[in-house]
Amino acid sequence: MMKRGIAFIVCLILFVLTGNCQSEKKVADFNLLNIDSKYVSLKDYPHAKGFMIVFTSNHCPFAKLYPERLNLLNTKYTPLGIPVIAISSTDTVSYEEDNYELMVAKATNEHFNFPYLYDGSQSVAKDFAAQRTPHAFLIWKENDSWTIKYNGAIDDNGAHPELVQKHYLSDAVDALLARKKISPKETRSIGCQIYFRK
Amino acid sequence: MHLFRLRHNFSVVILFMLLLSSSKSFSQYNTLWIPDTLTGPTFNLNIKDTFAQILPSGNQTITGGINGKFWGPTLIINKGDSVHMNVHNYLNDSTTLHWHGMHLPAVMDGGPHQVIPPGTTWKPYWKVTNDATTLWYHPHLHEMTEAQITKGIGGLIIVRDSIESALALPRTYGVDDIPIVLSDRKFSSNQFTVAPYGDSMMTNMTLRAKYTIPAQVVRLRILNGSVERSYNLGFSDGRKFYVIGSDGGLLSKTDSSLTRYLIHAGERVEILINCTGQSGSSFDLKAYNSTLAQNIAGGDVFPNGPFVNYLARKDFNVLHVVVGAQTSNAITKIPTALRTVTLLSASNSNITRALTIIDTTISGVTGAAFVLNHKVFDINYNNYTVPLDNTEIWQITSTSNFGHPFHIHDVEFNILSVGGVAPVASQAGWKDVVFVPSKTTVKFIAKFDDFADTAHPFMYHCHIALHEDEGMMGQFIVKNTSSLPLNLLSFTASYNNATVSLKWSAANQINTKYFTVERSGDDIKWATITTVNATSLPGTNTYSITDAAPLYGINYYRLKVTDEDGKFTFSKIQSLEKSGESFQFNVYPNPAKSKLYFSFKDPSYEIYYMKVVNHLGKVVYMLPRPQLQSGLDISGLSKGAYFIQVTDDKTKKTVTKEFIVN
Repeated sequence: MMKRGIAFIVCLILFVLTGNCQSEKKVADFNLLNIDSKYVSLKDYPHAKGFMIVFTSNHCPFAKLYPERLNLLNTKYTPLGIPVIAISSTDTVSYEEDNYELMVAKATNEHFNFPYLYDGSQSVAKDFAAQRTPHAFLIWKENDSWTIKYNGAIDDNGAHPELVQKHYLSDAVDALLARKKISPKETRSIGCQIYFRK
Repeated sequence: MHLFRLRHNFSVVILFMLLLSSSKSFSQYNTLWIPDTLTGPTFNLNIKDTFAQILPSGNQTITGGINGKFWGPTLIINKGDSVHMNVHNYLNDSTTLHWHGMHLPAVMDGGPHQVIPPGTTWKPYWKVTNDATTLWYHPHLHEMTEAQITKGIGGLIIVRDSIESALALPRTYGVDDIPIVLSDRKFSSNQFTVAPYGDSMMTNMTLRAKYTIPAQVVRLRILNGSVERSYNLGFSDGRKFYVIGSDGGLLSKTDSSLTRYLIHAGERVEILINCTGQSGSSFDLKAYNSTLAQNIAGGDVFPNGPFVNYLARKDFNVLHVVVGAQTSNAITKIPTALRTVTLLSASNSNITRALTIIDTTISGVTGAAFVLNHKVFDINYNNYTVPLDNTEIWQITSTSNFGHPFHIHDVEFNILSVGGVAPVASQAGWKDVVFVPSKTTVKFIAKFDDFADTAHPFMYHCHIALHEDEGMMGQFIVKNTSSLPLNLLSFTASYNNATVSLKWSAANQINTKYFTVERSGDDIKWATITTVNATSLPGTNTYSITDAAPLYGINYYRLKVTDEDGKFTFSKIQSLEKSGESFQFNVYPNPAKSKLYFSFKDPSYEIYYMKVVNHLGKVVYMLPRPQLQSGLDISGLSKGAYFIQVTDDKTKKTVTKEFIVN
């Protein structure tokens, strides 16, 4: 109650000052099956400051453009305490290409250096409100809970990494690490809509 | 194929960016993309979410494509062919695919009732009876049509026939017979915005399109594939053009010397231009939309909201045309006589169906901006039952402050009048979209032949996708039905154990020669059971017979009453169903590998619909009226347990069997 009260007052002050009060969304920890047959949770990383959670898929042509970039992000930011975790929340009934066996095959063939988790119930995607693949979320540990600091596209050019001008996701990580304001905090995720099974 | 792909050349990118920043009137053209063609009789159409480099700089645009990156192949079909479609939905949402303008059974039509879930293959087929023309296919998922057409999902269909082929017309696809698909898009951060109007003209999905055509007579097959905008087409050098065909086929003769043609959403027009002797020249095909009235889509200038657009009531380029060299065997003359078009006669119509388009702001109906007959579309409500083979006049009156392109499925029609005036020559042939101007009544006549189906309706709607999505749509079933203008006092049918007892009484049948008792299992195809001579006495006479071998499931009975002079009339139809009885079938072999065969207890049995469902409940195949003479091909199925759901044609009841693929 106390925390909520403070948050409300902060929000009120922000609203008076800026006319804006976007409360940052919190997400819950999860426990999902990785391609190495082990389950992964955020609490398995006690030293992590945050995570780059990327909802992706095997089948989406636009998502297929990004694994190499995710490898680079993971290599660069894991030592800084912000690893990459990829999650597939695709409805595998409709998209057989996204089943667990083919996730394992893709991650192996394309040398993913980050976990690729199977969200078969789609519950994690719903908790994050992930909309498309790829859809990136930068989450940060605050008071033992996880707050979304950035969500949207990874960068601004899918097919041509050499022409990227805005590295939205890594810029957000850099800003947080430097204790600076993240801008933009949200962009439009571009790719294939996540089809939620009814 | 991938016209939009940016070359990996940074200097080119810089050049593009400079051009973009320096001027709104781009001098940089892109070569008009010509969709690939597919020929039948089997067409594999894979609908996908994909992406394309549409804007010269920045991110790719997420698009929808059929077999490719954007839009779909042009299907080349011959009249008389039986075509088989394998439509696979790889989208991340459900969809449908409607064969716009095609005369086919409702269950094959691809309207909002034939929803294809993600990962499912839909396999409609039909015999092509349309005359040579330009049709198209596009999604028709209710409330999602605008979004899915905006993605770019669709394609053209070219129907050929012997009459058209015998004419001296250009028909070398992409050379002197050019497909032109008009659409407009609005971009936000390089992505399409689902909106009524775009800011950028896209011709065959190409921005700032140009094309080199030969110095001869060239045919342009133009489709207005926009979700809303109308185009007032003309040429920048004022040249005359010649209309040879409308939605449903060739006109009887060329409509000569036009300088403007106003084409509305969903409509097609085929025009000829004569560039003989003009090699080296260039001109533009333009939309002269600055002259459009406020009540025509594209002429409206709203102060704010989703209707604001850069192209509103402006003249803009559709295609920059460069005239190159003449080809061998060039057509250099414009033909005048085209084909015999026998129009339907208003005197053959026995009904006028009156529909009114209203602005809901005036009427108080909620949920849509415009509706038909004061009702928002309800997918579970059948608006009309059209008797099979009926010739009907449909009268569409717009009280609306806006004009609407009205489209009807199943048939091509003839426009009788627009505001009481006969249509202009270019609109006087076969049509499936008619523009209903604001505050005007339009009448057309159509014959609803060949396809009766009491389960699946055909649609009629405004072809402005937003209006249709909101509910400016209705539906009708075509039913084989009969009237009873005779003196039958009663006609009953009832089960008597395994037989059916039929009784009727008639009065004043002095002129009646005999009664023919007819039976049907589906209310469509009728067979004679027996004939009974009429009793030639005045007053009331009663008759009875027994049908010793009724069909399983539902039986329909009617009396055909033939008079002394050979004229006949039909009674009302009586239907009855034997309770507890259902059709029976088996599948074999089971387990199966590549083919699954069916045996039915009743050899006259017909399947209305079949679905193959996997063990997770996913529909793998949707098979309307499957042809099973040589078994069902299951070679594409992975190993496992499946269910086959068979819906009976007569009773529309569904029975499920399990089978294993090994």
